[in-house]
Amino acid sequence: MRVKLLYYTDLDAIKRVLAQKGIPFDPEVVMDHVVYMFEIEDCSRVTTHQLVRHRAVSYDQESQRFSAATREGVVTPPSVQSNDVGYKAYDEALKAVYSAYEKMVTAGVPKEDARYILPSAIKTKLVMTLNARSLMHLVWQRTALQAQWEIRELATALHVLAQEATPELWTKIIER
Amino acid sequence: MKVSLAWSSPHPEKTMAVAMRRCYSTKPIEDIEAELEQKGPEYWKYLLGKALQDKSLDVLEHFVVTLAVEGVSQADMGVLTQSFPYLRATHLRLSEWLLTLNARTLVELWKDPRGKPLAEMIVTELSQRGVCPIFSELAFGVKVNAS
Repeated sequence: MRVKLLYYTDLDAIKRVLAQKGIPFDPEVVMDHVVYMFEIEDCSRVTTHQLVRHRAVSYDQESQRFSAATREGVVTPPSVQSNDVGYKAYDEALKAVYSAYEKMVTAGVPKEDARYILPSAIKTKLVMTLNARSLMHLVWQRTALQAQWEIRELATALHVLAQEATPELWTKIIER
Repeated sequence: MKVSLAWSSPHPEKTMAVAMRRCYSTKPIEDIEAELEQKGPEYWKYLLGKALQDKSLDVLEHFVVTLAVEGVSQADMGVLTQSFPYLRATHLRLSEWLLTLNARTLVELWKDPRGKPLAEMIVTELSQRGVCPIFSELAFGVKVNAS
């Protein structure tokens, strides 16, 4: 998985407005006004299904209607990777699925219909724009121990990038 | 009413075009950015025109502006924030606000009688600042002279 911060709000610009109005800077006041745009690459569609449950967030994701899928482009969970029987079953199923997908596409079935057979493990790419309030809620929920390993990895990466960019907003995680 | 720009996200038209290409490309983001840079503003304009025509307004959500706004009552702002979920308003004092919205919300405000006066002020401010000339022309018919 790769996560990249594409842009974020210049906190000084917001501070200037507050200073002009004589209002002291307070992270809680500006949470709705600081936005981040991220690129997320090569996480599974399992995880993006979890991700898009978060609201007031803008997503644009690679479409399977137009892009072809390959056996190489899948995520393998560590618990499957480390389990000999489990991995053999996983690998055989993926080979069968991709073989069927390729046969369908070669036979003229549109990609948008052949994709119905593709696994949730498939890797995907998307851009995501959200404000600090939505991101903090996402980080709070998805870095919790109950969250699944892959979205925890994603939420941790988002948290690190946002904290580096705007440390003043991330001195504590405000629960929502 | 008075509107002044505090911050706008960088390279608005190119960013919205990147979001649009993200849906159709398997390439890493750097390759998409390089492709868009190489093809230039006419291509961004083509993509944005298509997004507006097809009502694929999701790609517009990646261009965001923050403004200081004066002269909007709490009642009027309450109606707007309840009607437009991506419009974020923080009350500063009296009739003054810190306002953050994306380009999709700006287009939707423009089309709604309740939001049109505010949208017109915002579009005028963005035009005067030369923030997004291609988008302003396509979405609102505002011609901006390059300076």
